[in-house]
Amino acid sequence: MLDLPAIVADVRRGMIPAHVYNDPEIFALERDRLFARAWVYVAHESEIPAPGDYVVRRVLADSFIVARDEAGTVRVMFNMCLHKGMQVCRAELGNASHFRCPYHAWTYRNDGRLAGVPFHGEAYGGEDGFARTGQSLLPAPSADSYNGLIFISLDPDAPPLRRWLGDFSFYLDLYTRQTPAGLELRGPQRWRVKANWKIGAENFAGDSYHTPHTHASVVDIGLFREPKASKRKEGALYLAGPGAGTTYKLPPGGTFAEQLAYVGYPPELITAMASAWSAGQRRLVADDGFMVSAATLFPNLSFVHNWPQIDEAGTVAPFISLRQWQPVSERETEILSWFAVDASAQESFKRDSYKAYLMCFGSSGMFEQDDVENWVSITDMAAGSMARRLLLNSRMGLTSEGKPIKPPMAAFSGPGVAYQGFGEFNQRHWLSQWADHLEGAGAAAGSAS
Amino acid sequence: MTGGRPLPYGDPAHQDAHQFLVEEAALLDAGDFQGWLDLLTADIRYVMPVRVTTARGAGFDSLADMGHFDEDLYALRKRVQRLATDHAWTEDPPSRTRHFVSNVRTFAVGQAELRVESALLLFRSRGDTREADLLSAGRTDLLRWTEAGYRLARREILVDESVLRTQNLAIFL
Repeated sequence: MLDLPAIVADVRRGMIPAHVYNDPEIFALERDRLFARAWVYVAHESEIPAPGDYVVRRVLADSFIVARDEAGTVRVMFNMCLHKGMQVCRAELGNASHFRCPYHAWTYRNDGRLAGVPFHGEAYGGEDGFARTGQSLLPAPSADSYNGLIFISLDPDAPPLRRWLGDFSFYLDLYTRQTPAGLELRGPQRWRVKANWKIGAENFAGDSYHTPHTHASVVDIGLFREPKASKRKEGALYLAGPGAGTTYKLPPGGTFAEQLAYVGYPPELITAMASAWSAGQRRLVADDGFMVSAATLFPNLSFVHNWPQIDEAGTVAPFISLRQWQPVSERETEILSWFAVDASAQESFKRDSYKAYLMCFGSSGMFEQDDVENWVSITDMAAGSMARRLLLNSRMGLTSEGKPIKPPMAAFSGPGVAYQGFGEFNQRHWLSQWADHLEGAGAAAGSAS
Repeated sequence: MTGGRPLPYGDPAHQDAHQFLVEEAALLDAGDFQGWLDLLTADIRYVMPVRVTTARGAGFDSLADMGHFDEDLYALRKRVQRLATDHAWTEDPPSRTRHFVSNVRTFAVGQAELRVESALLLFRSRGDTREADLLSAGRTDLLRWTEAGYRLARREILVDESVLRTQNLAIFL
């Protein structure tokens, strides 16, 4: 039924078969070949700061307890009792020294080890019938963290996380390590939308082209200082390792401190950012004049950074959001959207930044409202027969021969490849990794296209 | 927000509060968001915490530091201004909404304020092919008496789902 080689070939030349955005066969392949292997974000360490703190997160249908054990080690455990398969923890967050299964009361320490089996002697004849020793909730096959971001892979042979992140770490740091204190996350807001999960991931990876139109209303109401589209079309797009993102062009001629002040960062945070970031990271802001905006780390973790005016006086406050496009089915996605702020920032800045976030992104955000309307509509349209005859043109930025209409930027201080202006390089980069996985090749160390 | 002296249903202040909520719902369902803004005090605080699933005995079931809304008048005014532009795609065509308000309880607070609890069932329909959404919530409001009548000074919305089943909150509860 599904002609996967033809689909992948079309995707690789930037012509996307429309039905991939609402196709149960494609979704089954994504489950079995992509989410069964890829590194997937589950939580940030700041969400579980104290021993016993836990959150419950999913990778598709698989529920995991992400807990900090009594020794302070982060554990990621499959949330299914070893005995009859009951979901061991049914809250989504809390603090617990032990997790007790409601069915037969098998009890696990918060590091996953089985601590108690009722009537062990009478029912099993003690250790001979059932050896408790060495029994543990199944750990995530691979787990690691970077800047407090906890990732797991269902593949025990996943490549080391840092190697896989590769050059994208440079950009990831700009969102997640503004100072050595790192981020603190709040939330997430969670809501379900009738949209395919890929659309949001692609959008955040590189769709600067939608901003002037989809988000015209937030410019209409004066939420930003900059006139319509100006900071977008001069922005740079970059792709690096398994990630890609967009930037805004800052006003010309500022120093590092002046540029960050323009974006709304307070002096003490600017000083800390100057020492936390590498020379290249500082040059990207100061000399190149680019500030990170949206980005996606393959497959389904996105970032956004923007700086609206949060009051009548025109106070500008920047915010960071992490968001995950959690697939529910080929036609439904649960969005998890966190507000993130540097943990060392002053409370007044955190308050302003939180307000900026709520106005722009998340379940009520004025940007996100219009995005989701589009994505639901695309998913609706992709379900039928005609969508199987339509190839969506995702070749923006390429000539008919497949060459960039203008060369990559020669002077760009970040790693990877960067282009200035509009283009769908990043979406093709994301889709190329998607194609790798669906073909069964996977992306061992971050494939570059 | 808790406390206050419970008012019997026959109390005129309770009837004023109930009528305020019903008239407010009529404005929202008619899409008269500017008219709705006029019902708010200048120091309005409009909050909707994220509801979470926690164990019985955890001591909390919503997040203290994260909401779906945490708005002052500036933020609410921007949202209303946006809906009035020609580019607020998510509400063009607009949702058909119906705010069902019930279980109204009124408590007198001081001389000039009423604390009002109500239940809200919000029906939202979009387009012709999509299933409609329902949002169920409890609301606790602070109504303040002004020269123009009662005005809403504070609203806390306790939504009954931890995962919202509506595509966004381009609506007011």
